[in-house]
Amino acid sequence: MPHRSIVPVMTVLVVCLFALGACAPAITTVPAASAPQPTAAAQPSVTTDLTVFAAASLTDSFKEIAQQFEADHPGVKVVNNFAGSQALSTQLKEGAKADVFASANNTEMKNVQDAGLADNTAEVFVTNRLVVIVPADNPGGINELVDLAKPNLKLVMAQKTVPVGGYTISMLEKMSADADYGADFVTAVLKNVVSEENNVKAVVAKVALGEADAGVVYVSDVTPDVSDKVKSLPVPDNFNQVARYPIVVLKNAAQPQLASDFVSFVLAADGGQKILEKWNFIPVK
Amino acid sequence: MSTSNLTLSQFSLRRLSGKRALLLAFSTLLILFLTLPLVALVLRALPLGIEAWTSRATLDALQLSLTTATIATLIAFGIGTPVAYVLARENFRAKPIVDTLIDVPMVLPPSVAGLALLMAFGRRGLLGPPLAALGLELPFTIAAVILAETFVAAPFYVRSAKAGFGAVDRKLEQMSELLGVSPFRTWLRVTLPLSAPALFGGLLMTWARALGEFGATIMFAGNFPGRTQTMPLAIYSGLESNLDSALVLSLLLVIVSFGILFVVRAISPKGITLG
Repeated sequence: MPHRSIVPVMTVLVVCLFALGACAPAITTVPAASAPQPTAAAQPSVTTDLTVFAAASLTDSFKEIAQQFEADHPGVKVVNNFAGSQALSTQLKEGAKADVFASANNTEMKNVQDAGLADNTAEVFVTNRLVVIVPADNPGGINELVDLAKPNLKLVMAQKTVPVGGYTISMLEKMSADADYGADFVTAVLKNVVSEENNVKAVVAKVALGEADAGVVYVSDVTPDVSDKVKSLPVPDNFNQVARYPIVVLKNAAQPQLASDFVSFVLAADGGQKILEKWNFIPVK
Repeated sequence: MSTSNLTLSQFSLRRLSGKRALLLAFSTLLILFLTLPLVALVLRALPLGIEAWTSRATLDALQLSLTTATIATLIAFGIGTPVAYVLARENFRAKPIVDTLIDVPMVLPPSVAGLALLMAFGRRGLLGPPLAALGLELPFTIAAVILAETFVAAPFYVRSAKAGFGAVDRKLEQMSELLGVSPFRTWLRVTLPLSAPALFGGLLMTWARALGEFGATIMFAGNFPGRTQTMPLAIYSGLESNLDSALVLSLLLVIVSFGILFVVRAISPKGITLG
């Protein structure tokens, strides 16, 4: 019985799928009824999508930047795609279409440039620092950084291919080189790692849920949403890493002019920089 | 095609072939749509050298997946068999609810399953404190992987086993008992063998589903190579760091899935549908 009825059902499904696919591009060109059309006749009357691929750590700040940019550019819709920078660069290399790429390290920016997808005009627009976070009730009893090496803790880190994971390893190695922590500090800490996450926000989530005893994230990740769920242990300057975030207009951008406007806005002292600073990033301007 | 069908009138012949053409066109489209991605995967994975197959990342994930999926399937068998038998044979008022509850994990998004498992068995979860008192912390352990796999996969076995038990001719059981054979021995000698194909098919489906578990595992058990990083998690991580290993593991999972569905189809008796 089910065999007989499943064929028409499946064909209908497939037809719907194709119909949807055919409609999708049309949706973006529907006139933006809500966009105000005041003086100039040159004012765009259709919605234009600007696709921005941004590191997961930029989630909150870039959402706000997008809102501001959209307010300044009627008819423009910023479509953000947030993930670990390494995931974004893989997506771009596999043919994903985007206008702007903002990476959390230079490695992934270079990967994209080496693939011929962007020229060398990438500019560092913000920097970030590492911080160790523990759940508010601190189940692992981690009160200073040296406690990270205590046996049987549950630490969560980003995978080393994720920018923040790479920075974390560098930080631990630097600490290990210091007599206060000792040469086997890095080994002891890594032994406590129970999960390697694919982006920094996943690390934040596991600590905020209280499942992990500690995690290494960016200062900017301790947002108002999680600040009452976690406690921060600052990392001293001599061990801390400076994460540099480059941004670039991609070569096959569908909206090159708009993309370059967006990058300028991110770099503007009274635009993106102010917003990034509000989210605990360190502005460059 | 049906040129030999001369008894049909011109009109109905045309209508029939029109219908056939439509069916042919749509099924070609559907089959292409369903197989093209798999073919692309195979084409990309097949030329890879032996290193991709024998890399540490591949072997660790393979071993962990085979172990955990097998244990999850055994748990489903042990606990699911009596449940399926009762559901197939007894009638009680809460039965529709129990039936539905058991099926829920099959349609639940895996991320929901993962979050639910955390809320139940996580450190801050409902059973977190009592488990901790026993010295047990489940998240980030291999036990968490098995739990997640059992949660999402066991319903496949229960459904299939229930159908199998339901299809056994009761007269044969009654006859056996009339001949003085105890109910348990009757179950063992008559009911079980007769429903064996359905049970086995269900076990295979459960194993395959457990092998493919991703969302609940990454949320509840985390992602650590050699400990909780099963094949689907290794594929996800490998996409960014070790694409060759990800491709090889994907190819393995495609082959296993195809093989299992093929076997299940071959052994399942008529009238019993799986899944």
